[in-house]
Amino acid sequence: MRNLLDFLAKYHHWFIFILLEVASGVLLLKYNSYQNSVWFSSANAAVGKVYQWESKVIAFFYQSHLNEELTQRNFYLERQVDQLRQLYADLTKDTTQMERNGLQFLSQYQLIPAKVVDNSVNKLENLMTIDKGRADGVEVDMGVACGNGVVGIVYLVSDHYAVVIPALNATMSRISCAIRGRGYFGYLHWYGGDPSVAYVEDVPRHAKFKLGDWIETSGFSSIFPSGVLVGKIEQAYNSRDGLSYKLKVRLSTDFSCLRDVCVISDKGIAERAALMQAARDSIEMKINR
Amino acid sequence: MIEFSRRLTFFLILLFVQVLILNHIHLFDVATPLLYVYFAMTFHRNYPKWQVLLWCFFMGMVVDIFSSTPGLAASCLTLTGFAQTYLLERLVPRDSAENLDASIAALGFSKFAMLCGLLVVPYCLLFFALEDFSFFYVIDWGLKAISSAALTLVMMLAVESIHRK
Repeated sequence: MRNLLDFLAKYHHWFIFILLEVASGVLLLKYNSYQNSVWFSSANAAVGKVYQWESKVIAFFYQSHLNEELTQRNFYLERQVDQLRQLYADLTKDTTQMERNGLQFLSQYQLIPAKVVDNSVNKLENLMTIDKGRADGVEVDMGVACGNGVVGIVYLVSDHYAVVIPALNATMSRISCAIRGRGYFGYLHWYGGDPSVAYVEDVPRHAKFKLGDWIETSGFSSIFPSGVLVGKIEQAYNSRDGLSYKLKVRLSTDFSCLRDVCVISDKGIAERAALMQAARDSIEMKINR
Repeated sequence: MIEFSRRLTFFLILLFVQVLILNHIHLFDVATPLLYVYFAMTFHRNYPKWQVLLWCFFMGMVVDIFSSTPGLAASCLTLTGFAQTYLLERLVPRDSAENLDASIAALGFSKFAMLCGLLVVPYCLLFFALEDFSFFYVIDWGLKAISSAALTLVMMLAVESIHRK
């Protein structure tokens, strides 16, 4: 003990030096936005790599469960396409038109496959990291979906990784949705808690639907194409102001074991965003006059 | 107490000269005189090391507050103050006075210039490395660091010479 005290007394200036340097370092990184952003990017790349290794190990154990789920979903969709094709052919007498329409629709979008390397579902502001970044064509505000449905929207992009705001983010996520086959739309909102349940708000009072109807993306936001599955209606409530419905939705995406996702790159997104901005500017100018 | 008041006055003079005048000089868009580093040079032999560290940290911190770069000068100047105490010990003969001043008068021009050079050049290299926080523009960084170090050294030696007279 005495030796320790002697040691501390003799080299106390070293401890002060280290303390002051650490304090300066913290100040430098915390209160200088440039240094902070550089540090964040490089740290993010390193952290992303570690998470990538971790996710590979976990993915190995989840593979069979995921395959089973995707096979079921694939079977269901194939059946649905088959039924629709028959229905369309009966109505139009043209068996190839539907296929041509489908291919034309898909050619607007480029799908970038990615793996989730970090994910959380137990916070209010969950974020997700995927292993594709700017170098792979991922950009901010692109939609992310998986085989089972909608996942979220790209928020931050580095060269090889991207941070996604999933639908399970109570403060930042608002995805425009519609009731399949009925057209009424609203916004998907998650309040925390159960990661398999979210709510669609602002559905008009005159909307007609029934429990068990599917909710899908509306295609209005220019982030997701229309028709990406969101979930199934479980309950319907009146909104707090009584002017709209609030629908409890069982999400089709299982966020707790999400591995493979697709980033949806819409070639027309920039054009649509520019047009929308021009319209907003024009309205603003008219109001100011 | 007198020593403290003298040092505080010196602290304030250097601080105001730096933030009011020198911070606005960017010679050829690269060289900025960082005269406040002179503050770390002037601690006499056997000055308590913890006091040197605290003085330097606060000098750096206040310069940072005026320059909106919290932590940048503070970290560099603390390191410089720390190095000064060891470097001065190496440069002076063992039998010299216990509280020998770190000045041209006490050390001679060459030794004082060497002390300043050995502290100011690494200071500027570190300062601009932390400011850029990337070695992507390495020539730009080297140019800024070396030209600023040269300008600072010239000013430092000039002030020290005037001070001696």
